[in-house]
Amino acid sequence: MYTPTMLLAILPEILLLTLGVILLVVEPFWKAENRRNAGWLTFGGLLAALLISLLFARPADPQTVFGGMLRYDWYGFFFKMMFLFAAAATSLFMMDHEKLGRRGESYLLLLATTLGMCLMASSADLVMLYLAIETTSIPLYVLSGFMLDDKASTEAGFKYLLYGAVTSAILLYGFSLLFGFTGTTNLDTLGNALAAGPNMSGLVFGVILLLLVGLGFKISAVPFHFWAPDVYQGAPTPVAGFLSTASKAAGFAVLLRLFFAAFPGFASWPSILAVVATLTMTIGNLLALPQTNLKRLLAYSSIAHAGYALIGVVAFSELGRASVVFYLLAYIATNLLAFGAVMAFSRITGSDDIKDFSGLSRRSPWLGLAMLAAFLSLAGMPPFGGFVAKVIVFAAAVDKGLYVLAIIGILNSIIAVYYYLNVLKFVYLYRMDGENEEAHPIPLTRPYAIALVVLAVGVVLLGTLFGPWFDWSNLAALNLF
Amino acid sequence: MSIDLILFLILAVVAVATALGMLLSKNAVYSALFLVLNFAAIAVFYLLLGAPFIAISQVTVYAGAIMVLFLFVIMLLGAETLAPSKVLRGQGWAAFGLAVVLVAETVYLLVSRHAAVGVIARPDAFLNTMDSLREIGKALFIQYLLPFEVTSILLLVAMVGAIVLTRREKGG
Amino acid sequence: MVDISYYILLSAVLFTIGAVGVLVRRNPLIIFMSVELMLNAANLAFVSFASMHGSLDGQIFVFFVMTVAAAEVAVGLALIVQIFKSRHSINVDEMNSLKG
Repeated sequence: MYTPTMLLAILPEILLLTLGVILLVVEPFWKAENRRNAGWLTFGGLLAALLISLLFARPADPQTVFGGMLRYDWYGFFFKMMFLFAAAATSLFMMDHEKLGRRGESYLLLLATTLGMCLMASSADLVMLYLAIETTSIPLYVLSGFMLDDKASTEAGFKYLLYGAVTSAILLYGFSLLFGFTGTTNLDTLGNALAAGPNMSGLVFGVILLLLVGLGFKISAVPFHFWAPDVYQGAPTPVAGFLSTASKAAGFAVLLRLFFAAFPGFASWPSILAVVATLTMTIGNLLALPQTNLKRLLAYSSIAHAGYALIGVVAFSELGRASVVFYLLAYIATNLLAFGAVMAFSRITGSDDIKDFSGLSRRSPWLGLAMLAAFLSLAGMPPFGGFVAKVIVFAAAVDKGLYVLAIIGILNSIIAVYYYLNVLKFVYLYRMDGENEEAHPIPLTRPYAIALVVLAVGVVLLGTLFGPWFDWSNLAALNLF
Repeated sequence: MSIDLILFLILAVVAVATALGMLLSKNAVYSALFLVLNFAAIAVFYLLLGAPFIAISQVTVYAGAIMVLFLFVIMLLGAETLAPSKVLRGQGWAAFGLAVVLVAETVYLLVSRHAAVGVIARPDAFLNTMDSLREIGKALFIQYLLPFEVTSILLLVAMVGAIVLTRREKGG
Repeated sequence: MVDISYYILLSAVLFTIGAVGVLVRRNPLIIFMSVELMLNAANLAFVSFASMHGSLDGQIFVFFVMTVAAAEVAVGLALIVQIFKSRHSINVDEMNSLKG
């Protein structure tokens, strides 16, 4: 009954757990001034986990393991590698954070939430899925509220928890109705049972709405986006970066698998999602326009990006799925780079206001370059990853005849270019008021330098040598169900 | 009307009344106590539905642990009564809309399922015996082994989280 | 012998009461209790359906939901205590240091 394959299927999770336990045991023995090394330990461990998984845990033919709880396939594996990568970058960003850097607990919570995301990506059963979502969320609630003497942070944590708890209760009610209609919690049999059962399209429509509330919160799609700007602004910035990338990607991983597995025959959900995608893009972009705080701007922009990625889901085809996977990959690298650059800046200056970025390119040319790469990629300009990702998503929509949706997406990208370039205008064109910029350099610590270089190279690679990445996305999309 | 149905109706009235009591009480302590009663009523439903294990867990975990924690925090903070503040209008309408949608969906469910399936709860089924406990144990440790292990991680993380969040900052 | 749809109706009513509580009450403790009520309503639906299908899966799901609820409550109450300590008020309307 137990086979080595089962252990290989959860190898990334096992490594994460081992790393967490090592961290918990070792950290108390370190002197207070050495506690920052917990970050290097986490980073090294995550890299090792990534390499070991890539070498030994590559899936063969898709199969379900652990009594149907998990599906061991390329789709889950590809997402797991993305989460490990994002967590490694985030652990570097956390090291020089005033409150997070010297506390082993913060790294442990990061590892736990990554573990939850890995399980989310490969869950093949509603029980496992619910537990994975909560294992992801609960450490994130704590991390958002981690800065205890900062009112905004504890409030952000509580707001996130409240919205998260309510939407997961709604999601759970949807799960219970699904179980009631079909008598199974297994995704494989669920879809068949729904298709074979009596016609209950009205009820299934209701269930789809309930599930959309729960998952819409995770990917911060309109109208469940209210929490995002407040939480991103209040939470520690490394955590906000992680929330807006890995956590969102995990939501998409579940959304794709759940909807393709459970409701392949119900034509209603792509049209609901088309409406949601339109609203998400448009409202996210329009609200981003007047922002003066860069963290809030990135929050609204990340809402808009969820909308673009949803276009690929709506396309409901193999190309559509592959485009979503590729989009998320490019988006994770780009947005982490953007958040990393903002962190490196505000750590020295203590401000996230856009106008304080004036003269950044003279204060720190390399940081300016990182901002340039990140924001041009977010805006969807070649030769960066964001460009290729957008093209593929729109191509998937056109391929399925969704011309209106593709046009709305393109119009939205044009609006978005305005506010991304506006930020770069401050970075490159404006000068600091009556100051000599050379007198106010922005030194980068080693963790930031490593993370920013790797992410910037990644963003450029995704935009130029996109062939292999897209092949992998295709492979992941093939094996979905 | 069978005796089962009468019992169900009485308990249903208790459950709905205590839920409304929780919702409408000005005092948070009363709310918590109403909720304990509600959970107890639901535990009896679990017994009627042939789920004794879940019924016992409900009493120990929800009524025993979670609600006690709630009461503890309410009294620790002295948050029994908070001045009622006016509800945001949009939210009031949202609540109303949600309530209408959910009730409509339920009525539809009731009407459509009633004729089609007409299944009944089976308190005397095999589930309600000692065997069912054995079956639950087997299922937990064979089919649901992985989720069971994940809950241990979840509880560890929650413990670490609760400690992190209530610690005192050294020197501010 | 009670028809299962009565149980589902009851669970939907309880879920609705919980949802309304979340939306109209301003005391975070009571909002949180309303969430617990919503979870319980979902649990009741699960157990009813499990009884209808004669399978244990629904009951085991409920067992896991209880574990999750306990973990969530522990973290949530810790956050409430922390917010209260820093401002001596836990009214959601007054949480406005984040606006914009």
